[in-house]
Amino acid sequence: MGIIETSGLSRRFKEVIAVDDLTMTVESGEVLALLGPNGAGKTTTIRMLAGIIRPTGGEAIVAGHRIDRNVEKLHEVIGMLTETPGLYSRLSARRNLEYFAGFYPIDDVSSRVEKYLKLMGLWERREDKAGTFSKGMKQRLALARALMHEPKVLFLDEPTSGLDPEAAGEVRQLIRRMREEGCTIFLSTHNLGEAEMLCNRIAVIQTRLLALDTAESLRRRFFRRKVIVELESPDPNIAAVVRELPFVQEAKEEGSRLSIELIDSERNRPELVRAIVEARGKVITVSEEQYTLEQVYLRLMNEEKVNDTQAH
Amino acid sequence: MTRRRISNILRKEWGLLFTDPNSALLVTLLPFAVVGQFILYFWLAFRFGGEGMLGSSVFQTALEKLLQAIPEATALPASEQLLVLLLNQFQFILLLIPVMIAIGIATFSIVDEKLTGSLEALLATPVRTWELLLGKTLAGAIPALLMTWVSAGFFLMVVSLLGWGNLSRLVLTPSWFLSLFLLTPAVAILSFMLGVIGSSRAKDSKGAQNIALIIVFPILALIGIQVTGIIWFTPLRTLLLALVIVAVDIIALRAAVHLFQRESIAIQWR
Repeated sequence: MGIIETSGLSRRFKEVIAVDDLTMTVESGEVLALLGPNGAGKTTTIRMLAGIIRPTGGEAIVAGHRIDRNVEKLHEVIGMLTETPGLYSRLSARRNLEYFAGFYPIDDVSSRVEKYLKLMGLWERREDKAGTFSKGMKQRLALARALMHEPKVLFLDEPTSGLDPEAAGEVRQLIRRMREEGCTIFLSTHNLGEAEMLCNRIAVIQTRLLALDTAESLRRRFFRRKVIVELESPDPNIAAVVRELPFVQEAKEEGSRLSIELIDSERNRPELVRAIVEARGKVITVSEEQYTLEQVYLRLMNEEKVNDTQAH
Repeated sequence: MTRRRISNILRKEWGLLFTDPNSALLVTLLPFAVVGQFILYFWLAFRFGGEGMLGSSVFQTALEKLLQAIPEATALPASEQLLVLLLNQFQFILLLIPVMIAIGIATFSIVDEKLTGSLEALLATPVRTWELLLGKTLAGAIPALLMTWVSAGFFLMVVSLLGWGNLSRLVLTPSWFLSLFLLTPAVAILSFMLGVIGSSRAKDSKGAQNIALIIVFPILALIGIQVTGIIWFTPLRTLLLALVIVAVDIIALRAAVHLFQRESIAIQWR
């Protein structure tokens, strides 16, 4: 059983369906990215799983607690970083954390606050008002607030949104650290690179779940692997030889570059290179076509648009 | 845990209250302004309007009720009886202090948190709605109440300075003490509770202030009822009124919890 289990989880706002029939499992210690365009239901999903809003259909269990029952117990074992840091600008960093720590069963609040201020690199600025902090520092302080009670599951709603590259990098570094410490993280983001960099699996939603897998598996699902052979000079004979090979499904010639689709990219590659060399082809490089997560995401979204159009 | 959470809210709210110059000035200066203003009105009425007011049938009725309630006042000259009547209104005038502070402070308590986004983070903690609302109410009501008591002391001091000290014993009746130590706390809590309800329901602080204003009218009515002699608040009546307000406080807390919709707050204030 996963640490997060949802079954048919849905949420309607009057006539609008924000989240529809979401069924997924997140394992303990896993970092899962929730991708989707604006209005896809990412924040609504996080709010439901964090027990802030109730689902209108289906159910979910987070860290052993049903999200629609005894929310207080659920809140003791989850941490949440909201879209905006939501800090008290007139209170110091230390007081901000002490206040939130005061709602959890923490024995020694001062030492816990100290630990997380140090972890986030804010200890030296602990007595400064949160309102004087940069965006990145505010986000780190908000992250400390979400982590301070050492939750089993951490929900991060667009944690690097609106941050400059340096501040975003700092926040990502902290998320990596949490991942290494075994924290289960459920992260919503628009940043595909960030999702791939930080997460074990990626869930793409557009009201309903479109895909849930590792980035690599998603690539394989939507794009066939292609081997790129760069020759010293264009040679139509080599392309013809390659096309005749029994394990080649497709071969395209683009100048001195051959783009070849194999039955088994790993196993057939040495035989392919041998055949080219035997045909007197001068090989400069052999590589694999790299598809970005963005390409996967855009294809998924296009497919969804087509499905939507057909359904209507 | 509940006590710890509420005292946690109190500490945070006080931290914010006294780092905001506007709120700090409101809490510390407004009570003295209210007391000073009403004493000035009474002095003017006593100095320049005494005879005209004594001739009024409205004040005659009120004076009769006063003399029934405080027979020691019978021995005083008519003008001083009028002054005792006016000074006796102070037990209700003092109620305006927590109400006005509540309108100035409590109405921002939830709206501000909605606007800064801190409320959503707060809703993800194990704090219960009633703990949050009670904490916010007490955080405003306690300083407002303390300042009301300080103002009562200030009132007695000014009365003495104006040479009316001999009348103080006719003002410091059991009804006055019941009002100060039972009715005023109950009204302070109710005012802040209404302010917090307004703040949790309204889209901005102005809307919240309109809701909280509801409580001003019954208090003005109390002053009007007594000063016109319709009802004189004897100790028993004051006690009953205080108990009714305590019951309303409990109902208001339940209503506040019911009206505080976590979902709409999270959804509508992004």
